[in-house]
Amino acid sequence: MKQAPANSWRPIDAVEAVVSTVWPRRWRDKIGWPFIAPALLLVGILVIGLGYIIQDSLHELDIATYRLGDDYTLANYGILAQKTVYRTVIGRTLLAAAIVTGVSLFLALPYAYVLTRTSSSAMRKFLLVAIFLPFFIGQVVRAYGWLIILGAKGLVNSLLGLLGIAPLDLLFNYGAVIFGLIQYMVPFAVLLLLPALAAIPEDVELASENLGANWMQTFWHVVLPMARPGLVGASVVVFTLTLTDFATPEILGGGTTDFIANTIYDSFFEISDPGLGSALSVVLVTIGSALVGLVFLALGTGTLDIARHQE
Amino acid sequence: MSDMSKFPMTRRRFVQGAALGAGALMAPSIAFGQSKPDEIVVRAWGGAWGDALKAGVADGFTAETGIPVRFDFTEDNEIKPKIWAAVDQGRVPPIHVNWDTTINATISARRGVTVDLSDLPNLKGLLPIAHPAGLEGYPFVNTYSYVYVLAYRREAFPNGAPTSWRVMLDPKYKKRCALYDDGIGFTSIAVIAGGGSIADIPDNMKPGYDFLRQLKKNEPLLGEDPDFTTWFQNGEIDIACTISVNARAARQNGIAVDWTVPKEGAEVDTDGLWIPRGLPENEEYWAKQFVNHALSRDAQAKWCSALGLPPVYPGLKPPADLVGDPAYPTTSADFTKLVSIPSPVLVDNQSIWFAKFNEIFQG
Repeated sequence: MKQAPANSWRPIDAVEAVVSTVWPRRWRDKIGWPFIAPALLLVGILVIGLGYIIQDSLHELDIATYRLGDDYTLANYGILAQKTVYRTVIGRTLLAAAIVTGVSLFLALPYAYVLTRTSSSAMRKFLLVAIFLPFFIGQVVRAYGWLIILGAKGLVNSLLGLLGIAPLDLLFNYGAVIFGLIQYMVPFAVLLLLPALAAIPEDVELASENLGANWMQTFWHVVLPMARPGLVGASVVVFTLTLTDFATPEILGGGTTDFIANTIYDSFFEISDPGLGSALSVVLVTIGSALVGLVFLALGTGTLDIARHQE
Repeated sequence: MSDMSKFPMTRRRFVQGAALGAGALMAPSIAFGQSKPDEIVVRAWGGAWGDALKAGVADGFTAETGIPVRFDFTEDNEIKPKIWAAVDQGRVPPIHVNWDTTINATISARRGVTVDLSDLPNLKGLLPIAHPAGLEGYPFVNTYSYVYVLAYRREAFPNGAPTSWRVMLDPKYKKRCALYDDGIGFTSIAVIAGGGSIADIPDNMKPGYDFLRQLKKNEPLLGEDPDFTTWFQNGEIDIACTISVNARAARQNGIAVDWTVPKEGAEVDTDGLWIPRGLPENEEYWAKQFVNHALSRDAQAKWCSALGLPPVYPGLKPPADLVGDPAYPTTSADFTKLVSIPSPVLVDNQSIWFAKFNEIFQG
């Protein structure tokens, strides 16, 4: 048998010596921390930024100098509580988030199901390409595209005109914003549902049908419950993305359908009041975090199917 | 071979020659006072606005000094906090010169982030409107005035221009009219159109707010300059309260748009130039030279003629298509037809008026 040269282990011994110096053996069970350190650093920076926003929200703007005053005050939160416009904007945003989440999941679930269950390779590729293509086009470009399609002289109204139907008011209203958001969010929902549906063995569905359940009953009683992790994940993502959206209400809303993000922008940039904008930002983060927290509280963190599975 | 003995090189001669040579090289800098930066960055509005500044001011400045001018098209409202943060943190601001609304410039001046321009030679002889109202010195300089006109599609008004801002309340124009999304240029007009008067501004804005509530039923579109152009182009709107520059640019691009100053008048305001604090000394010097150049007769004539706006340099003729146009005021009689609110009043009240505007249109 050929023996390795005597010195071939020296580089490996050197590397081990360096590693042992940098990361001693007694720390080996904590090897995961360096790997998640960059993510922790990023989140930490965001938390520090949030701290600055909370700090600014507790100071009122002095219009003599256009700087935040030195005194701590809840005046900005008082303005948000007193003025009905802010309650209207928050309510409008929450309602939109709920509608968009519901409709997006309703559309995404059958799409993801067909994608995972189809036996046709060509169909699977077509569905994958169709769902990924929108990601190559930014949200702003897509919204401007809807301006062209849904406008007074757009594609839809032109086709209606050919049928002798008067032009419809399709843009610059709440409906247009909801429509634009659903079109933007469905691909996200599909991508989050795919792993959950793919993890459901087809044999389970066959067993259900063998026991006498029809397709609808199998879908309702077997597929949906087993797809819960994907449904919860997709709901959380779509809801929070819609809650914080800026571009679609800005472009398709006609200026009268502002969401919370648009109002925050106006506070910072239109009236140069970072105190008020920060207060609104804190409210937005609180609402979003509270709702997501409630979901996990009600359904458990294992609902995303990320807990360790005990054999 | 020449006889070099006629020009003996002593150490003293060498040093004198070297000094002369260095002086010759440095002469332009000495004459202008500071070394030249690689470029001057000017924040500008895009489209017709940026084209006018390039043709009227930037190209001439570059030809004169050799310093290229680059435009930063960040929105005026969005560059404000960036500059403020840079100045507060002791960093170099992202731009050299800010072409800004007088309201925004006043806010920045109050915040103390602007350089005083009182020593600019071309300030002499300018119209009084060039001086910032309510402020000492020249934390910025106003460069021209403009009018928020009632722009309209010719097809929608075959019998001629509308005579009153109240045309926006006509149900025929439901969702077919547009305003700026912060009410700028319209809030004071709403007071007059709502039955009040200039004397009511700012202490009694109720007539204006009532008018806006009536207008809300007509669901006007709210947007910015580029939105108005898009909306007119796509036939989405028939009337808008917009700056005459935008209406003129739309017409020059073939869109059948005209404008008028209705019987209630139209708001007149100014834009200006200012320089943020914190620039290196030489860059601040050349930024001031840019602003000084913008106030020269030649630059004012070209720039404001391209914009179609009355300059602060006196005695310049309006463009041919704007002679006698009520949106191009040149005499004091012209200005009496317009509504001019002092900048300090606008600045003190803009957040209040905007909050009310938002409350009415977002509610």
